Amino acid sequence: MGMVEYVIETENLVKVFRDRSGEVRALDGVSVKVPKGVLFGLFGPNGSGKTTLISILVGLQLPTSGSARVLGFDCVRESIEIRKRVGLLPENYGFYEYMAARENLEYMGKLDGMPAQELKRRIPEVLELVGLREWANAKVKSFSRGMVQRLALAQALLKDPELLILDEPTLGLDPQGTATFKKLVEQLVKLGKTVVISTHLLHEIGHVCTHAALLRRGKVVAQGSLEELARAYREARGYSYELTVAEGAGELLRELKGIDGVTYVGLENDVIKVRASRDIGGELSALAAKHRMRSLVPLAPSWDELYQFYQGGGWE
Amino acid sequence: MMEKALIVARKEIAENFKSVRYWAIIGLFVLLYVASTYAIGFAVRGFGGLPVGGRARTVLQLSIQVVNALTYIAPLLGIALGFGAIAAEREKGTIRLVLARPIYRDDLINGKLIAAVTLIVLAISLSTTLAVPLAVALQNVNVTVEDFARLALLVLPATLLALAYYAIALFVSVNAGRSSHALVVSLAVWIFFTFILPVIVAFVAFQILGPPPAIPFNATRPLGQVPRQLQEYYSRYNQVVSTIQLVSPTARFSSLASALFALRSQSGVYEELSTALARRWIDAAVLATYIAVFLIASYIVFLRRQETR
Repeated sequence: MGMVEYVIETENLVKVFRDRSGEVRALDGVSVKVPKGVLFGLFGPNGSGKTTLISILVGLQLPTSGSARVLGFDCVRESIEIRKRVGLLPENYGFYEYMAARENLEYMGKLDGMPAQELKRRIPEVLELVGLREWANAKVKSFSRGMVQRLALAQALLKDPELLILDEPTLGLDPQGTATFKKLVEQLVKLGKTVVISTHLLHEIGHVCTHAALLRRGKVVAQGSLEELARAYREARGYSYELTVAEGAGELLRELKGIDGVTYVGLENDVIKVRASRDIGGELSALAAKHRMRSLVPLAPSWDELYQFYQGGGWE
Repeated sequence: MMEKALIVARKEIAENFKSVRYWAIIGLFVLLYVASTYAIGFAVRGFGGLPVGGRARTVLQLSIQVVNALTYIAPLLGIALGFGAIAAEREKGTIRLVLARPIYRDDLINGKLIAAVTLIVLAISLSTTLAVPLAVALQNVNVTVEDFARLALLVLPATLLALAYYAIALFVSVNAGRSSHALVVSLAVWIFFTFILPVIVAFVAFQILGPPPAIPFNATRPLGQVPRQLQEYYSRYNQVVSTIQLVSPTARFSSLASALFALRSQSGVYEELSTALARRWIDAAVLATYIAVFLIASYIVFLRRQETR
């Protein structure tokens, strides 16, 4: 098995904010590893440290202690190299409202160091991607919140970055915009990009992520692939499966109830739901062949369920 | 190395060219100038419409009007360009998109500074170019090439004054979270130096020197002659005032700008420019110090600051 390549690696990252009222530990020893080419979720409620972590990764803030590397570059000493290669959609951003969408992108692209010819080609492309091509020459002040958010996504995509970091990307998007966004990021991952999505809206975009780190009060409570995180969940909460049968479920139901460790078997329409205290995938596969099942699906817990499980509760 | 700063500067200049605020300040200057031209019409002509003081007096009056107008307009121009330079970017969130790109923080502030110098020089040159010939034409007096040259040279101290207030406003801007706060503080500084400090200075001078000496009436004294004791009193008064006013960029500008039009006594001929300016080097030094101190302070604060939200 080859070595996993990480695009983001942080080691014991601490960020302390001090003001007159005292100290706030926004990050408290965060160690995160983001593998290359995945759709990675940075999940946590407001105030859990997601935005601070992202700000440190791109050099907008300095860590109090600890280290962080992005695409192999140190976040403190080589942040310029990082920003050359990373597309960022920050949480609290704004555009120059009296400039057109195209002019805003031109300015950002020039600051990215993109040649004029490339900008000329790339700007219509990204505006098309986010559905704003016909608004290219409209001033940003005339844009709705959703349109501004799409433009923000366009500026992050402009330099065709190796790594995209999107902080609360679906804020302000309507359901259709959110659906388009999901397709877009999945497409980007297929093209070999790594996408990090920071959100507290797990139900909106959580399910598109294949890997995640769950943050709470500045600490990482769990991280890994959905499968890795689901393993501990299943061991504690049990395994769930869905089976679709062609005909005659009666005998199958009896056989299912007889399997050691099965705690629940239920039939709804043609779908049988099974819960077990251990992994009974092998036994179910054997029954699938015998009873000519249409499908056998081991159910993965949702990110919502995982978050609740690892946090020991919901959002606070 | 300066490539990114120039990108920022070009964008700033283009944005200001499109803004009403920038053109309003230029318009205000021309308007103020033309309006004051009518006022000096009475000062330089008798009721019969004939010049009473000759060409030199007319130009002197003109220069006083230009200097007065610049005393108000140049600081406002500097403040208008400086107060939102960083605070507005922070407020709107554009700073997060800009600094998320491969740009050093000093590139951003350098770009703002390049744009400010360009816009200030352009605004003052343009308004002077528009206003001076217009005023001269309205006065209908002979103005020599040297008169014009000296009026044109006003652009230099006016730029220093505008940059001094720009530097102050920029410093306030890098420290402020909101552009409205930066504007209020910058305007307060301008109001202090322009309107409040002269009152304080007069008060302090009277406290130090006491009231002017009482001069008994003397019927034999020629009309218009100021008694010696009173001359000495006002000489000491002016010394106190100018010493305290050394800290005022506005007063330093007036003093430096007036030196451009200094006349050799009674001759109606200008003093050598180098001689006149050599006497007022301290004015230029004070203005340059304001610019340097507040720009350096702005750099230090901005480079050390992190964008938390």
